[in-house]
Amino acid sequence: MKLPHFLKCFVAALLCVGVFTFASAPTLAADTAGAPQAGAHEAAKVEAHDAHEGHGHAAGPVVTVLSQFGYSYLTAFMFVLSILVASMFFILIHHLFDAGWSVPVMRIAENMACLIFPWGLVALIPILALSTLGYIHPWMNIDPATDAALNVKKILFNKGSFNVGLVLIFLFWGWMAHSFRRFSVAQDKDGAAVWTRKARFLAGWGVYAFAVTVTVVVFLLMKSLQHQFFSTMYGVYYFAGSMWVTFATFYGILRWRMNFELKPVVSKVTVHALGLLFFAFTVFYAYIHFSQYFLIWNAAMPEETFWYVLREQGSWWGVGMLILFGHFFLPFLLLLRIDAKMSLAVMGPMIVWAWLMHYLDVTFNVMPVLYPDGLHITLWDPLCWGGLSAAFGFLWWKSYHSLPAWPQKHPRLKEATTHHEVPRSAEAGAHH
Amino acid sequence: MSDPKSLGLLAQFETPADIMHAAMAVRDAGFSKWDVFTPFPIHGMDDAMALPSSKVGFFTFVGGVTGFFSGMGMIWFMNKFDYPLVVGGKPLFTPLFAFPVSYELTILLSAFGTLFGLALLNRLPKLNNPLFSSERFKRATNDKFFVYVETADPKFSAVETRALLATLGASAVEEIHDTEA
Repeated sequence: MKLPHFLKCFVAALLCVGVFTFASAPTLAADTAGAPQAGAHEAAKVEAHDAHEGHGHAAGPVVTVLSQFGYSYLTAFMFVLSILVASMFFILIHHLFDAGWSVPVMRIAENMACLIFPWGLVALIPILALSTLGYIHPWMNIDPATDAALNVKKILFNKGSFNVGLVLIFLFWGWMAHSFRRFSVAQDKDGAAVWTRKARFLAGWGVYAFAVTVTVVVFLLMKSLQHQFFSTMYGVYYFAGSMWVTFATFYGILRWRMNFELKPVVSKVTVHALGLLFFAFTVFYAYIHFSQYFLIWNAAMPEETFWYVLREQGSWWGVGMLILFGHFFLPFLLLLRIDAKMSLAVMGPMIVWAWLMHYLDVTFNVMPVLYPDGLHITLWDPLCWGGLSAAFGFLWWKSYHSLPAWPQKHPRLKEATTHHEVPRSAEAGAHH
Repeated sequence: MSDPKSLGLLAQFETPADIMHAAMAVRDAGFSKWDVFTPFPIHGMDDAMALPSSKVGFFTFVGGVTGFFSGMGMIWFMNKFDYPLVVGGKPLFTPLFAFPVSYELTILLSAFGTLFGLALLNRLPKLNNPLFSSERFKRATNDKFFVYVETADPKFSAVETRALLATLGASAVEEIHDTEA
């Protein structure tokens, strides 16, 4: 089947599934509530509500201009941070696997990761300030002596750990990102193998430090919005979504810049590999998010279920469904075909959709704390999201243009540019 | 023994560049029933031979969809319909707990679809191939490169095709006979 025809059939089929799901939603809910055997499950939900609200504070903080700005800004910040930290991970695995194909994309990632310092840290300051003043994270206003859940987590969830910990981690990330770029730029000049070895050594232990620090940062900034919540895979969940949106972004940048300065080094293989990784993380994200939900649903422990119970209230239920279908099923089924990953007509809209879906995913994590009754969009949301994205986009563009567009003397550059191409001699033969 | 039926011409080439060049020429001459044999994969050969995308993905997809829905269907049938049994106060059926099993079956039947689709498209298993009767052809797994054009191809001509292969720089051209006859 030709791709355009396939797309028409696909959209029609997806619309049918979507309409069916949304139409059957009340039935599904009624089914669960009505069945006598579901009693225990329902009781767990009620208990979860009690557990959540029995800590002497309201379901969410009071909505003021500052808290509204704080939440919108936090959502936008977590979106931008996704792309910065995932770029760092991309550099780490590039060195760990001694990868060849990714060389043409490396400068895009190196410059992106370097934005963590100083700009990422600068952008973090409003969150540190507003949160310490008590406008974002509700636990900042609670005395641990009166709250059992906070009391056991006060080693991490206290103003000192929060502020100092985040600043230190951002400094560490900045040092790591700038080291990778420094090695890479130094190799541009002398082509010495020592820079590759240094980068590999850093990547070797850096990947562990990265895993731990990403988890800590996400725990502090996002998960602690509901400090009673337990989920050890929450960091991986954020990481998976971050990689997904970052590969979409890189794909877009590559397709755009390969018409210009990246033309000599980019081949079909580079484009296809990025499309494949985007597809792979579509699956990985779904796998992780489903696992988190599934384990919590199955265990039905109040200190975990309350997190999802809150996110099934009002229009949050619809948002959850949109994430399920839009973040997973749509890109998964659409990108199964090989040619779809190479088609700009499919991938172009998919990149914009990925940005929207990842933003919605972060919103789904952050906003229900402020608005427990449903999705609530204010002017602050697009302002923060657009503003931060535009600022970081501009900063990336500036640093990207201040350096050569790809690692000039990377040992695997030749492999990256000639991989899966017709041998020159054969091409010459064919033209005789 | 009567004169065995001729099945095609096997041409031997010495280098990857020669075989690539030959494949392009045979493709451009408009042949449809022909193949290339090399000791290792040569990047770009699928373009040089104008091979379309593999159809194996279709079998994989059908296998995966079958696996997913049989997992869901099986659990729904057993837990909700045939023998309702309450476990842990959970609903009798929801896609949630049926998902891991459906997911595993998706993978399993996708793999089966891939394997059997591959065998089907390659007409495997096959006990013998007439090419195995050629002594020369054994070096296809070592250091020589081969193009094989079947007589069944509508463009095939015993004289012209042999001449074409020779002009492409073949170091040897050999006629392959039906050994079963």
